[in-house]
Amino acid sequence: MADPAVVSGGALNAGGRGSGGKAATSPAENYHLARRRTLQVVVSALLTECGFDSAEKAAVETLTEMMQSYITEIGRCAKAYCEHTARSIPTLSDAVVTLIEMGFKADTLPLYAKRSQRMVITAPPVTNPPVTPKALSAGQKRTHPAHIPCHFPEFPDPHTYIKTPTFREPVSDYQVVREKAASQRRDVERALTRFMAKTGETESLFKDDITAFPLIAAQPSTIPYLSALLPSELELQTLEETDSSEQDDQTDGENAVGNMISDDPGADKENAMLPLSAVVPAAKASEDNVIDNPYLRPVKKPKVRRKK
Amino acid sequence: HVETGVKKQQQVVCINNINFQRKSVIGFVELTIFPTVVNLNRIKLNSKQCRIYRVRVNELEAPFIYNDPTLEVCHHESKQRNLNYFSSAYTAAVSAVDPDAGHGELVIKVPSELWKQGDDLKVLKVYIEFSLDQPKGGLHFVVPDVEGSMAERGAHVFSFGYQNSTRFWFPCVDSYSELCTWKLEFTVDASMVAVSCGDLVETIYTHDMRKKTFHYVLPIPTAAPNISLAVGPFEILVDPYMHEVTHFCLPQLLPLLKHSMSYLHEIFEFYEEILTCRYPYACFKTVFVDEAYVQVSSYASMSIFSTNLLHSAMIIDQTPLTRRCLAQALAQQFFGCFISRMSWADEWVLKGISGYIYGLYLKKTFGVNEYRHWIKEELDKIVEYELKMGGVLLHPTFSGGKEKDNPTPHLHFSIKHPHTLSWEYYKMFQCKAHLVMRLIENRISMEFMLQVFNKLLSLASTASSQKYQSHMWSQMLLSTHAFLKSISNVSGKDIGPLIKQWVDQSAVVKFFGSFAFNRKRNVLELEIRQDYTSSGTQKYVGPIKVTVQELDGSFNHTLQIEENSLKHDIPCHSKSRRNKKKKIPLMNGEEVDMDLSAMDADSPLLWIRIDPDMSILRKVEFEQADFMWQYQLRYERDVVAQEESISALEKFPTAASRLALTDILEQEQCFYKVRMQACFCLAKIANAMVSTWQGPPAMKSLFTRMFCCKSCPNIVKTNHFLSFQSYFLQKTMPVAMALLRDVQNLCPKDVLNFILDLIKYNDNRKNKFSDNYYRAELIEALTNSLTPAISITNEVRTVDNLNADVRLILEEITRFLNMEKLLPSFRNTITVSCLSAIRQLQKNGHIPSDASLFKSYAKYGHFVDVRVAALEALVDYTRVERSSVDLQWLLEMAQNDPAHYVRHKILGMLCKNPPFTKTTDPAPPFTKTTDSALCNEALVDQLWKLMNSGTSHDWRLRCDAVNLYYALFGLTRPSCLPLPELGLVLNLKEKKAVLNPTIKPELGVGPVMDTPFNTMEDEDIDMETVHDSQAFIHHHLNLLERPSTPGERKEPPSVEQSMLSMPATPVPSFPKETTPLSSKHGGEHGHHHHHHHHEHKKKKKKHKHKHKHKHKHESKDKEKDRERDNSQAYSNSPASGRSLRSPSLSD
Repeated sequence: MADPAVVSGGALNAGGRGSGGKAATSPAENYHLARRRTLQVVVSALLTECGFDSAEKAAVETLTEMMQSYITEIGRCAKAYCEHTARSIPTLSDAVVTLIEMGFKADTLPLYAKRSQRMVITAPPVTNPPVTPKALSAGQKRTHPAHIPCHFPEFPDPHTYIKTPTFREPVSDYQVVREKAASQRRDVERALTRFMAKTGETESLFKDDITAFPLIAAQPSTIPYLSALLPSELELQTLEETDSSEQDDQTDGENAVGNMISDDPGADKENAMLPLSAVVPAAKASEDNVIDNPYLRPVKKPKVRRKK
Repeated sequence: HVETGVKKQQQVVCINNINFQRKSVIGFVELTIFPTVVNLNRIKLNSKQCRIYRVRVNELEAPFIYNDPTLEVCHHESKQRNLNYFSSAYTAAVSAVDPDAGHGELVIKVPSELWKQGDDLKVLKVYIEFSLDQPKGGLHFVVPDVEGSMAERGAHVFSFGYQNSTRFWFPCVDSYSELCTWKLEFTVDASMVAVSCGDLVETIYTHDMRKKTFHYVLPIPTAAPNISLAVGPFEILVDPYMHEVTHFCLPQLLPLLKHSMSYLHEIFEFYEEILTCRYPYACFKTVFVDEAYVQVSSYASMSIFSTNLLHSAMIIDQTPLTRRCLAQALAQQFFGCFISRMSWADEWVLKGISGYIYGLYLKKTFGVNEYRHWIKEELDKIVEYELKMGGVLLHPTFSGGKEKDNPTPHLHFSIKHPHTLSWEYYKMFQCKAHLVMRLIENRISMEFMLQVFNKLLSLASTASSQKYQSHMWSQMLLSTHAFLKSISNVSGKDIGPLIKQWVDQSAVVKFFGSFAFNRKRNVLELEIRQDYTSSGTQKYVGPIKVTVQELDGSFNHTLQIEENSLKHDIPCHSKSRRNKKKKIPLMNGEEVDMDLSAMDADSPLLWIRIDPDMSILRKVEFEQADFMWQYQLRYERDVVAQEESISALEKFPTAASRLALTDILEQEQCFYKVRMQACFCLAKIANAMVSTWQGPPAMKSLFTRMFCCKSCPNIVKTNHFLSFQSYFLQKTMPVAMALLRDVQNLCPKDVLNFILDLIKYNDNRKNKFSDNYYRAELIEALTNSLTPAISITNEVRTVDNLNADVRLILEEITRFLNMEKLLPSFRNTITVSCLSAIRQLQKNGHIPSDASLFKSYAKYGHFVDVRVAALEALVDYTRVERSSVDLQWLLEMAQNDPAHYVRHKILGMLCKNPPFTKTTDPAPPFTKTTDSALCNEALVDQLWKLMNSGTSHDWRLRCDAVNLYYALFGLTRPSCLPLPELGLVLNLKEKKAVLNPTIKPELGVGPVMDTPFNTMEDEDIDMETVHDSQAFIHHHLNLLERPSTPGERKEPPSVEQSMLSMPATPVPSFPKETTPLSSKHGGEHGHHHHHHHHEHKKKKKKHKHKHKHKHKHESKDKEKDRERDNSQAYSNSPASGRSLRSPSLSD
């Protein structure tokens, strides 16, 4: 008796899902497994009833499968009959018709059930039906407002629409901010330059440890003055930002300086080196639009020589 | 003034083809000249490195000779190695082709048909076809090595040169005094622009529409050296304020050009206003080019600038520099281009006037303080130079032909020609010239001065409009005499003594002053002594102004410096009265409260100044008490006085000096450059007071107060740089602070951390200006903080034994240098600072000394400032490590680098920081010649070759090489060479076959040549009579009988050989009566004796001449590139070969 159970137990573990090794299974899966296990016990009992002492694992498995198919078919058929007659719950007659349909003599069933040598199988332990995990509860679930009929779907779980602002006091201490900005920039720069140094050619200041202070190798460029003279994009960006914010009060100051220069030549004018803004007076530029400059004139076509 | 026998009327320059790939140019010139003598039979023109294909005079083929003695100054077989010999030979060579003396490299024989025309002196048209192939001077090609068409690559070409160097790119009379009108035509690729002098009349496509021709006309008579050209795919900007002014820059730089040029019109207005004269040309062009020879060069109606002067609105430091350059260029347009000089001796007038009006511009734009500061700076420079190197003579007179009296015997070069001058001397010459103009202004007033300029300009512009009266054009040439006459006419004053003192005479004055106060007489006893015996000094006799600040006010006294009087009594106005509380009047009328507790109770004197207006070119060493200097610093309003007192206070490290300097530093009204100077003085005082110094390191609390946050004093404010004075101070203070040292002579830990924090917290995100110069200065501060590493000698520098502080510094430098690769700063200032920091780390023994890093940064293709910084480190490395490999590397680059400026810089830096110095030099820190393994015969030969023939394409570079030779070996034969006789024998062994016959003449003449001025006598011999002399020819015929010359026939005299006996004599001219055929041989051998063989054959096959010749050129070019040095390459030039084309052949 114990043997088949062991066998069946082993079979169970090696079950066709190929997920036998998995320790953690979902509750629904557990439920399935328990049912199948019960079936296996039934098959084993029947076999014992028929006089088998032992059975091969594969045979038990096959029989279990057959039994399950059979029962499933009965259920399916009974359900079909019941639905055929526009009901939703099968009745006894549905089952009987099904049995008959499947070629089973239904009247033998009560007799078989009451046979003397039958083995009684204890009911499988009641396992809890799989529970759907409770959704994250956040706040109170809202009820329908008055104008919405109650048959309308309920509100989804609160966590899907309730927002909880997480709020932390910003660091307002100037020193810390500066400190952070500085170290952040430094870290970024260091990481970036190290990366560049690692991925490209380098020069080193030390012979013994060439990785100590890696210097990105100097690469000559074909037009070196371009990168040296043109402001980088970063700088241009900075300029735009500061321009938009500071331009207004800036230009006033510069004009004042410019005026001072033209007015009194003797005065002290260290500020006169201010890079005066390159903006050309708009009025002047538009006034004489037609600039006569020989370099702007169109290039003349050559005179066609007459053929001799 | 000329003995040329011709007068140029007009010159046409036409360049048909500019090939950027091959770096070659083809064109022709046509000179219209008036003979000024009857029977003009030859015309001398200047031409260097041009291949001349044909010359025609009035449509007739004319034979010509090409001979350039400056290609190889001393004959290459000569074993002479002393600089005296070289200098005189070089001067003679330059004289031999001096256009001012009517000489030239190219001598054209006027066809006899034309000189029979008799007395009517008809116009001659000289037509010369020429080409240039890979010119080494005159024109510079910049062709970046990238994909794309030449225009896309930004390839461009421009003319350059030091003084009159136009002969390098087309044949002309290369003199500043030879004026003519010009027609200039340049055919260039359709994507390019050709910018040249004069008015652009029209631009016409060629027939295939692929090219266009720019036609320029310059109606104002102009000297050839003032003609220039720039061709490239320039972006064009018409000046928005002045439409006749056009700016050109290289592709992509237009935004920078717009910003940098936005100010030019103000400079124009300024000059036109003060000179009350319109800008003389109808248009003006500025061109910005890469690899410029000098930052600014002015030509008639155009100026060529270095592209590195362009900057964006974010750059502070470059802005005033660029504006200064523009102002200089424009000043030279009036004086230098429009008004040219009569002769080299008059150069000082033009340089002086243009420098002077540039100074007026500085005064107007940057303020009186900046102007006075600049004058003081210039004065200090010239004084320092003259005291060190000997006098600078503005107006040398070379009166007698056979003068033994060299006006400047102290110099190792001749000042007879601009081309023999050292570059440094020439810079000092210009500096002195404008200072002297200022002295004249002091004497006759600015008003008269400007009237004189106006008069000169109006005379010139009247003359320039006389189209067909070229004799009037001489009014456009300015001479010293005319200038002085004009001054005397306008002002009625006699400035003779002034001119005699500063212009006709070299050297400066050196005063020593001290004083005593005589309480009884209430008199200041001033003693002024002079040193006029040491080199570079002269005696001053005349008035001198002394300003005495007393308690009662400031008083000027004019004393007479006379022969024997040293002491001067100056009566004081006030008795000492320190207890009366009264404000003290200053010179400018201001009245101030002073704390008089520091001063001497018995004396009313606060401070004394000698020559406060700098109206003598002098150095004053004045002794007064420390408190007087302190009062002067605090209360004297003149920046020059403040700067003088700061330098004086260095010698008084006391708490009172410290306080005075700190107060000045804090005072915002004070001129920022004075405050910057005070920083460094304070650092020196702090170091001297190190044991008694109280409180935090000098300037730290000051900096914190001025530039750090109120709430957290260890963090610097985010940058805004709105006040430039503060900006400059903020930049300077850390640099000065880093010079502080504690008792162990180390930079205090406090200071280092402070600087590291400045770097850490530097935040430029909200700044509308770039902080690249500021960061560069912070790196310099780190560099200044370095002190020599303490370690066992010869220990290998490794990462492990790195000092912790140095590790921090190195960390920063590495990061900065690496970041620069990703985000380059303007002009790569940060890389420049990092390189010098690394060199300092090496030098102080913190990291292993190694040149490879610098070599990689010195390579062509880096930004020029970076290269120069790397080269400077290398030069230093070479000296310290005595590395001959690196010296070779440097010399190699000095000869072959594409950028002329870099070559010039290398030699200049080697001169300043020589790998070793001559034994006679008393400077002890340098290695003595005899000690240094670097000093050997090979190096002598190499440098000799460099200056003798390797630098013939660039006057400036040749003079640099001469300077270097002088710095290393001095004037006489280098001591590392074997004795002369021995040397001769050794060399005989080496080159027996070649040398044997030539030694005789050299031996014969050698001793004579050592005395420089004999060569001048030779020069004065009339060439033609010499040539006619049978004996002379016979002598040379004998010389020719030597194995090295393959020519089998008897040859007419060869020029090179004749130069053996008569060094640097301009021999090449034709014997009067010879036929064209034989004269052409003379020319041919002018520089062609290597090819006698070919020429000989050719002569026999006249009909095949043309074809054969062409073929020969090709093969010759190849071989010359490979193996020949410059001189030989030039001597291969077919210029002379082509002269074979006699009239009969060309038909």
